[in-house]
Amino acid sequence: MTHELTLAAILLGIIHSGIRLATPYLYAAVGETFAQRSGVLNLGVEGIMLMGAFFGFLTVFRTGNLWLGLAAAAGAGVLMGLIMSVVSITFQAEQGISGIGLYMFGLGMSNLLFKSMLGTVEGVQGFSELRFCVTDSFCLADVPVLGDIFFSHSLLTYGAFLLVPLAAWVLNKTTWGLKIRSVGQNPEAADSLGVNVAGVRYAAVTLGAALAGIAGASLSISLLNIYQENMTNGMGFIAVALVYFGSWRPYGVLVGALLFSVVNALQLWVQVLNLNIPSDVAVMMPYVLTILALALPFRRQLQPAALTKPFSRGES
Amino acid sequence: MSRFRRKRFVSDRLWDALLPVVAVIAALVVGAGILLLQGANPLEAYRAMFGGAFGNKNGLADTLVKSVPLMLVGLGIAIAFRGGVINIGAEGQLIVGALLTTYFGVQFGAHFPGAIAILLGLLAGMLMGAIWGAIPGVLKAQLGVNEILSTIMMNQIAIQVGFYLLRGPMIDPAELAAGTNIPHSARLPKSMDMPRFTDLAKMLGLPGKAQDLGLHGYAADVYGVLVEPTRLHSGFILAVIVSILVYILLWRTTIGYRIRAVGLNPHASRYAGMNVKSTMVLSMTLSGAFAGLAGAVEILGLHHRMFEPTSVSAGFGFSGIVAALFGKLHPLGIIPSSILFGGLLVGGDKMQRAMQIPQVLTVAILGLVVLFVVSTDYFVRKRQNRRVSVEESPGEGAVPGPTPPLSPPEANA
Amino acid sequence: MQKKSWILVVTLILTLLLAACGGQKSTPAEPGTAPEQATAVPAATVAPSAPAPAETVRVAVVMPSTITDMAWSQAIYDALVRVQQDMGGEGAMEIAYTENMWNVTDAASAIRDYAADGYGLVIAHGTQYGTSLFEIAPDFPDTSFAWGTAVDTGKDQGIDNVFAYEARAEQGGFVNGVLAARLSRSGVLGVVGPVEAGDAKLYIDGFVAGAEYADPNVKVNVSYTGSFGDTALAAEAANTHIQAGADVLTGSAQQVVGAIGVAKEKGVLWMGTQSDQSSLAPDIAVASQVYDWVPTIKDMLAKHAAGEFGGTVYSLTLANGGLQMVFADGLNAAAVAAARVAEEQIIDGTIDVMAIISGEAAPAAKGVFEYPEIQPVRIALVLPSTITDLAWSQSIYDSLVDLQKHYGEDVIDLAYTENMWNVTDAASAVRDYAADGYNLVIAHGAQYGTSLFEIAPDFPETSFAWGTSTDTGEAEGVSNVFAYEPRADQGGYVSGVLAAQLTKSGVIGVVGPVDAGDAKLHVDGFVAGVHAVNPDIKVNISFTGSFGDTALAAEAATTHINAGADVLTGSAQQVVGAIGVAKEKGVPWLGIQADQSPLAPDSVVATDLYDWRPTLLTMIRSQQAGEYGGKVLQLTLANGGQTMIYNDNLPADAVAAAKAAEQGIIDGSIEIVVEPR
Repeated sequence: MTHELTLAAILLGIIHSGIRLATPYLYAAVGETFAQRSGVLNLGVEGIMLMGAFFGFLTVFRTGNLWLGLAAAAGAGVLMGLIMSVVSITFQAEQGISGIGLYMFGLGMSNLLFKSMLGTVEGVQGFSELRFCVTDSFCLADVPVLGDIFFSHSLLTYGAFLLVPLAAWVLNKTTWGLKIRSVGQNPEAADSLGVNVAGVRYAAVTLGAALAGIAGASLSISLLNIYQENMTNGMGFIAVALVYFGSWRPYGVLVGALLFSVVNALQLWVQVLNLNIPSDVAVMMPYVLTILALALPFRRQLQPAALTKPFSRGES
Repeated sequence: MSRFRRKRFVSDRLWDALLPVVAVIAALVVGAGILLLQGANPLEAYRAMFGGAFGNKNGLADTLVKSVPLMLVGLGIAIAFRGGVINIGAEGQLIVGALLTTYFGVQFGAHFPGAIAILLGLLAGMLMGAIWGAIPGVLKAQLGVNEILSTIMMNQIAIQVGFYLLRGPMIDPAELAAGTNIPHSARLPKSMDMPRFTDLAKMLGLPGKAQDLGLHGYAADVYGVLVEPTRLHSGFILAVIVSILVYILLWRTTIGYRIRAVGLNPHASRYAGMNVKSTMVLSMTLSGAFAGLAGAVEILGLHHRMFEPTSVSAGFGFSGIVAALFGKLHPLGIIPSSILFGGLLVGGDKMQRAMQIPQVLTVAILGLVVLFVVSTDYFVRKRQNRRVSVEESPGEGAVPGPTPPLSPPEANA
Repeated sequence: MQKKSWILVVTLILTLLLAACGGQKSTPAEPGTAPEQATAVPAATVAPSAPAPAETVRVAVVMPSTITDMAWSQAIYDALVRVQQDMGGEGAMEIAYTENMWNVTDAASAIRDYAADGYGLVIAHGTQYGTSLFEIAPDFPDTSFAWGTAVDTGKDQGIDNVFAYEARAEQGGFVNGVLAARLSRSGVLGVVGPVEAGDAKLYIDGFVAGAEYADPNVKVNVSYTGSFGDTALAAEAANTHIQAGADVLTGSAQQVVGAIGVAKEKGVLWMGTQSDQSSLAPDIAVASQVYDWVPTIKDMLAKHAAGEFGGTVYSLTLANGGLQMVFADGLNAAAVAAARVAEEQIIDGTIDVMAIISGEAAPAAKGVFEYPEIQPVRIALVLPSTITDLAWSQSIYDSLVDLQKHYGEDVIDLAYTENMWNVTDAASAVRDYAADGYNLVIAHGAQYGTSLFEIAPDFPETSFAWGTSTDTGEAEGVSNVFAYEPRADQGGYVSGVLAAQLTKSGVIGVVGPVDAGDAKLHVDGFVAGVHAVNPDIKVNISFTGSFGDTALAAEAATTHINAGADVLTGSAQQVVGAIGVAKEKGVPWLGIQADQSPLAPDSVVATDLYDWRPTLLTMIRSQQAGEYGGKVLQLTLANGGQTMIYNDNLPADAVAAAKAAEQGIIDGSIEIVVEPR
């Protein structure tokens, strides 16, 4: 009667879960990487994710159109990003504090709108798992092991993983990426070379915020397909931490997000398998391991020199 | 200095002081729009908000009660920022501090006279917070682990440690007996309750009612806060004293000088022969100690038992950052900023109750207030720069602190 | 410089604030509440401070039988006498009565005579007197009239000086029925009724319902004599019942003295109603439902003295003490306990006797809920999460809204504060509500206790409540705090039994928040329930370490499914994530706390719904009766605090097994044994 579990099946389950859990972190943390690379610490990711999750969900709930929902989530993110930009770049506000302000605003507004526009937890038909069917009867998702890991996720999950090389390419290989890095490293020099520091930072922060909006939507219209107040539950802050973990490099962020998520999946299995570890200790695992992993002696890139440092022409 | 320039100078200062007020008003105007959309009368709502926070006895008491953890956490944040490290882990440090204080109180509190037990309880909280703060400090100094990452993670770990202890080793035996298993500790012995203001007033023999002194109206409310039974406890006095001590520590001792020097310019400090790494560890340790003290005070002054960790830490780790930065990272600035920010939090809460509007609306408006106020610093700074270019910097006077760096000092690294 | 500017800012803001509050200060902090409170004082509390003693109150009663009928008429007469004693004897209150007014025309003239004679309150103690009363009353606008059993005060005819009163006889009937069924050895009960109408029918219907509630196999024979006073026929009816095997009898109206005589002779038990009939045959008259009209009369007199001459409808119920159950000593303890439980449940609204009689409700009082009468009350809720969390906070809020819908917003004034995970904020919310004059302030979280015990003594006439807890603060000298505790292990057990029936893989998954409190109880009960059915079934339990981590809860659900689970359950607001997964994978979900089925109607196959209404009503009514706290209230399956809802798509045998478990927990035959984890 009991379901036999092989070690392989468990490992597969862990990887599969880990990949899915990593999705929102990837969007949010890669987005935050752009912002921080340009020299702006955006602690308001959590608030932006909530707004994105809400508007994405609301749009899908009202129209049924997933792409419209995704656009709405990104749009909400853009708006939030612009607020952050105005406050932190134009007005050169203290970034730690403006991020917390943005977080409070996003948290409050998303919940308020939820109350007045939805009122109760609802569900939608969100992005479903792609199964990569070659013929009517054969789908790549059915291939043992590989199918589970690679071919049975939703579009947004693939998007998250494709975002990583894309972001790395943009940051490292394009002129715009160079500009972002230069305004984050040495805005004075960039400015003297004719780079519009504020403009680049606006763009980077707003792009990051749009991705954070999509991160929220990946929860509300892809992974969970519901909207609940405060549903991100601190993920935005973890995403900020993952940027530090990844040393401001998209691939580093990928490693961090996967490590954190896979360990999180692992701890769920630890509990399910009755391994006699207190649940709280299991829950702690991803946090402890993330710290420990970072304590390993790897060569680490230094943080962007101008991170959190506002720039104004002719100030120094 | 010409007469004209002096005048200009004064009006500039006035303008500096007015700006944050203008910012708050601007934020409230935007918030009024949201309130109107929700069908609430903004004027009434704001009257409820400010009246609720400062307008009567219980409101004032609530505001001051709220300012205590904000102040203590804010002091820790300020020390860390001044020392060139960013501490987002006050939340966790507060929790573990509260846990050790509770453990000490429940296990040993009854064996000591009240005052000594309270003192030891406070020290226990400080100690545990210091340890929790030292870990990211050491990780940063020795292994290069970014402290923003480690403190965010350590917060979660502290929450889970709390849950583990509170549903196991530290659970109130009565909960096991009743079978309800609520994760909270037994109550600390009553002797360990930090005296409330009303108790202190009784000790001092002050008249117990404002009416006895012929006070009426608002004066009666203010006096009532001091002597009548409210939740206001001596932790407030402690927090103010600690603020002054931290000021002395940072500006009147060598340790403080080292912390600030490392924060302002680690490279120069290293050349000057300072141990930058150990100073960073020290900053984080002190920062954690004050957050831990906040936890201890919350337990001994307010809750008298430990329960769900997040309910005790209650976001003070984050709102404390706001209080610290509003206070310009200056220990003496943190006192009024904690009271004001505490008032905003309390008033927002009262507003939602008085108007029966969703609590989240007040969260959104508070977010706006933070965003607007932090934005106006720009204008203050702009004029300061102009003034500095015209006149000599006023220098480090005895009472007015130096102009603190307006961004985390690390940026200067 | 910075410093000074700060001081300036502070001063300025403070000045502004003071200015802002200035206008407000001149008026008291809660201008609206003080007068409101005065009017909100329940009428019942006005009663004891009856009319001024200087003036003699004159009360007349017209009754269909005699003041010694051991029944209907005697009940009111006894009450009048007691009111007279309470008020200071004959000097303070004069009583006049006319007996045996079975002729309505005669009764009408008696009524008119009393009114003309200047009696302040004239009671027409019979339903049949109504028409006449409505003719007479307008002629004596300064006289109060009362009649019953009735609910019509003639308001729509423009009459304003008539009170109406009724006795909810079915309630005591139900309790007597439960007792009778438990005491009976033969399993046959006999009822001697007068006319199948009014008060008597109510009582008998209640009795039958109660008996069948306690023992579905019991046989209740009912006979009506067609008369109120035919004592001989009643005696004969009693004989017949005994011959038919009955060993417990009951009946109503004055005729029953005949039946009681037979019962005494034959040694069968008797249960009475209206008046205490034990004096007739102390050995066999073992239980009585006694009507107590004293509070009703006192209140009518108080209203009269205040110039309010009518318009109120009174109802005697178990809950308001108008009906009292008197049991003889030496009865089988278990039977009496069962009767007392039924009584308690009728009082707290768990058992809706009328609904059971009309067949609208199953005996366990599901669906239709009886709302006892309450006075206007202001209730404030302080919640750790939101009213839409589909879990802990929503469950109590929904119950309160239901009550408010029933009673109206003018009776229940409801305020709430959400997201109070910060205990300090919660404490100030609690204090504000209390200071604002709310009668019942509910701090809906285990973490709020310490603060509550600190605040409660400052507001001795406000009731506070908190939970999950069993501590009312008695040890700390606090007397106005209720504690409540949902026994989630009960619903968990039933869910577990159901889950064990549903699983095919033999693996069940639980998505918990933190292994403590309510969630732990639920899991403990659930595991016990599963293993009671089949110890080999694996129950995999995971905790997310948070109450709101929806994403992790979803992942935990996926993990369980990957580990072979084909039935899932879990608690706290995070579970919406897990339910989404269950829905997607087509795995049944067993909910708890709030009704989660709107989220996934096909997947949420059963819910252990917390129904806070009985608990809330108990608190409200205690508060209004001047008992401000001190009670520990449990939400159990037995008292209706938890209700199991089963989806139609479940297999019948699985539901049957779950219902059997429910019954077992209710009657105590199932003991939930918690396994160590």
